[in-house]
Amino acid sequence: MNVYIKNILRFCIIVLLQVLILNNITLRWWSDPGGFPVFIPLIYPLFLLLMPFDTPVWLLLIAGFVLGITVDSFTNTAGMHACATVLIAYLRTNVLGALLPRNLSEYEGLQPSIKNMGWMPFLVYSGFLLILHHLLFFALELWNLSNLGHLLLKTMASAATSMLFVIVYLLLFTRQDTSRA
Amino acid sequence: MRNFILFIRRFFNLILFLGLEVTCIVMIQRTNTLQGNDIISSANAVSGLVYKKQNDVVYYFGLRKMNDSLQRENARLREMLASYKSVDTLVDTLALKKVGIADTAKHIIRYAQYIYRAARVINNSTNSSDNYITLNRGSASGIRKNMAVVSGTGIVGRVEHVSANFASVLSVLSSKQKVSAKLRVGTNGFVLWEGKNARVLTMVDVPQQVKVKRGDSVFTNSYSLFPPDILIGTVISTEVVKKNTMQRLYLKPSTDFANLQYVYVAENKMAVEQRALEDSASVKSK
Repeated sequence: MNVYIKNILRFCIIVLLQVLILNNITLRWWSDPGGFPVFIPLIYPLFLLLMPFDTPVWLLLIAGFVLGITVDSFTNTAGMHACATVLIAYLRTNVLGALLPRNLSEYEGLQPSIKNMGWMPFLVYSGFLLILHHLLFFALELWNLSNLGHLLLKTMASAATSMLFVIVYLLLFTRQDTSRA
Repeated sequence: MRNFILFIRRFFNLILFLGLEVTCIVMIQRTNTLQGNDIISSANAVSGLVYKKQNDVVYYFGLRKMNDSLQRENARLREMLASYKSVDTLVDTLALKKVGIADTAKHIIRYAQYIYRAARVINNSTNSSDNYITLNRGSASGIRKNMAVVSGTGIVGRVEHVSANFASVLSVLSSKQKVSAKLRVGTNGFVLWEGKNARVLTMVDVPQQVKVKRGDSVFTNSYSLFPPDILIGTVISTEVVKKNTMQRLYLKPSTDFANLQYVYVAENKMAVEQRALEDSASVKSK
């Protein structure tokens, strides 16, 4: 399948998954509804994480902005998701460059995945960017640093759950029979 | 000039990044000043349509709960009606009481001040710090900004964005709005949400000498944009604030925000006249 069509399809699937299903799941840990913040898993940054290795930064930035604005328009948060997503779009190339042994332009036609990168580098890559994204988003949403603990707790709990969903998504939607070695 | 172009080419990504971030922050900032932007909200045509399609599917699963709530509301309305009318609609035999002409002269006849329009909730959230509800009616059905939204059991919120066929409502579960409220004895205060738990509202500015019991009801008063005497919630616990000798009351909201299906948008027919009068009064006093 053409790489453009594939990415546009993935964009639609991930946004709909996020908006129609995950946004309606309110998670709380343990039985204490007052002390522990409620949170929702955010998996839509996965679209950015899975774009091909050799995508230029400006395209990543534009794609991140469009993705963020789309999610924003569904959740009435004008700009908060976009702001967080543009940040990770900008940092993505640097993080990948630091984690991979070869230059990024040598991975032509490939995309970041567990198969292409190995478990550990991929988890570090997606985990780092997801935590950064969640931290910025929740900081913008709460918009005061008076209870930093609340913010950090919410970020960590939400990022851990998002990671879980990301891994499940990858295991479900990656083709198992390898056509490319 | 050439250096300038070289500079732009060298730092193009950084400039684009900063430009987009500034755009985002401007948008957030504009939304926070309550005027809002109507394009990036769930009242716009595309996301409204997606939510409507989703609701068409999910709608059927909530029918049972909705029936129950409609039935309860019917019962409540019937009860209210019964206190105005001497015809008991539940009993077959008529218990008519004649109203003499002498009676009508003594009573002031009040016309209904509010128009209620029913709307279906097609999207709903309770888990962010400012919660929004999307309705399937918009300006085409006569819904305007800043109208009050109530449910069968209590208050819900205020209309914030409107498009032709959808409206998004800022719910009471939001840090952005305070609702003026009163206790049954008539003491006024404000109800707000502290942003942690969708099942607890807070009422502030209640003087300490007012005796409040657990289970007391809190209603809207006639200062706010909501119609007066609509239930907000019941008191769970009270707490005395040492600093200014006021009480804080914790309320259990009477509306079940997680399971909203139908709401009513209340239009105050007198709002324009009232505001015009108040504005002219405040201009003169300056």
